[in-house]
Amino acid sequence: MAYTPQYGPGTSIVAENRRNQMNPNHDLEKIRDVTDEDIVMVLGHRAPGSAYPTAHPPLAEQQEPDCPMRKLVKPTDGAKAGDRVRYVQFADSMFNAPSQPYQRTYAEMYRFRAIDPGTLSGRQIVECRERDLEQYTKLLVETEMFDPALVSLRGATVHGHSLRLSEDGMQFDMLQRCVLSNDGVVKYVKDQIGVPLDREVAVGKPMDEAWLKAHSTIFHSLVGTAYRDDREYVEYIQRIHSLRTKYGFMPKEE
Amino acid sequence: MTEARYPQCRIVPVRILGPDTAERLLNAVAGISGIRRLMINGPSLPATVPYGPARGKPNPNTNRTTITVGDTEVKLRVQVGMVTAEVTDASVIAHIKTTCDGIFTTFPYQLQEGQFMKTQPTLTDYAKYGPHADEAFIGLTDPRRKEPPVIIQGLH
Repeated sequence: MAYTPQYGPGTSIVAENRRNQMNPNHDLEKIRDVTDEDIVMVLGHRAPGSAYPTAHPPLAEQQEPDCPMRKLVKPTDGAKAGDRVRYVQFADSMFNAPSQPYQRTYAEMYRFRAIDPGTLSGRQIVECRERDLEQYTKLLVETEMFDPALVSLRGATVHGHSLRLSEDGMQFDMLQRCVLSNDGVVKYVKDQIGVPLDREVAVGKPMDEAWLKAHSTIFHSLVGTAYRDDREYVEYIQRIHSLRTKYGFMPKEE
Repeated sequence: MTEARYPQCRIVPVRILGPDTAERLLNAVAGISGIRRLMINGPSLPATVPYGPARGKPNPNTNRTTITVGDTEVKLRVQVGMVTAEVTDASVIAHIKTTCDGIFTTFPYQLQEGQFMKTQPTLTDYAKYGPHADEAFIGLTDPRRKEPPVIIQGLH
């Protein structure tokens, strides 16, 4: 019988959303359009339209050693071209953001190739070859894994994920990289490290509360789905906790 | 040092306030007679990027602005998240509650009562201000700041 991954436990909508984001066979709903140039601007690693700087010559121009692993693993476009390794970092608010750091890492590991994610409590960074990074970022920004108000691209100075939201519903950002304009569209005015952009980059309107609650992947007893309401998830975590604790004492079977 | 006999309260809105609402709130609250001291708390909005690759570059931020409370200009260095007040007696807290009810109409707030300001100087305060510091200001300002606290005028 073929193995079917379960991705995660739980019967709540949060658990379902987590599974959907992780499952590469599930098509993430596309919510907004952001151009390639806009993504390049917000990432801030190279000027839009400029050539990709390289870290090494393209693989086709190199003498590759005769290695069975290299024959087995096909390089990504970025690796083939010898691109530099660059990063994107997201900060996700705890108030029903559609994704959150651990979830991002799980989802990206299932969906993307040749990445090196770093997971922290309030932010998640992923490093990979530059042209692969731009494709991945585009997907992460355009789909249901992003909300313009509650998720933001922050290369540094990320503080804000656990703070109360601002009056206009935006996640607090010390550097105010994105602002909610009068027409209700969130616009990036700085790149992800806080350097002002030459022009504003629009990333769409913030999603409404009902949508956020239905697409969140974080449990929150006050504004969303309470963790204790998902009995299957609690049972699973208790089982893991119990097994880990017992294993700490190195139990021996009779 | 300040005696604990003065009641204190803290206004905690569910959202962090923008400068306009902060200005309205502070004008309304500071205008109530019987307020001894006010303190604003919130996440910092630095003038320059404090760390990361853009460290030291200017940090333009529409929330870092100057508001007018009474006749006094107050430079906001934080986005206002909480306002703590020390009042002369408990009836003033009820007055603050009525005022806040009129301001926070689109989102709720909490009015907490308790002891929120320092009652005696810490070692840091002693090192910064010395043994003869003005006790009214202890614990109300960031010891690393060079500017003095703002004295609000023109309200009564």
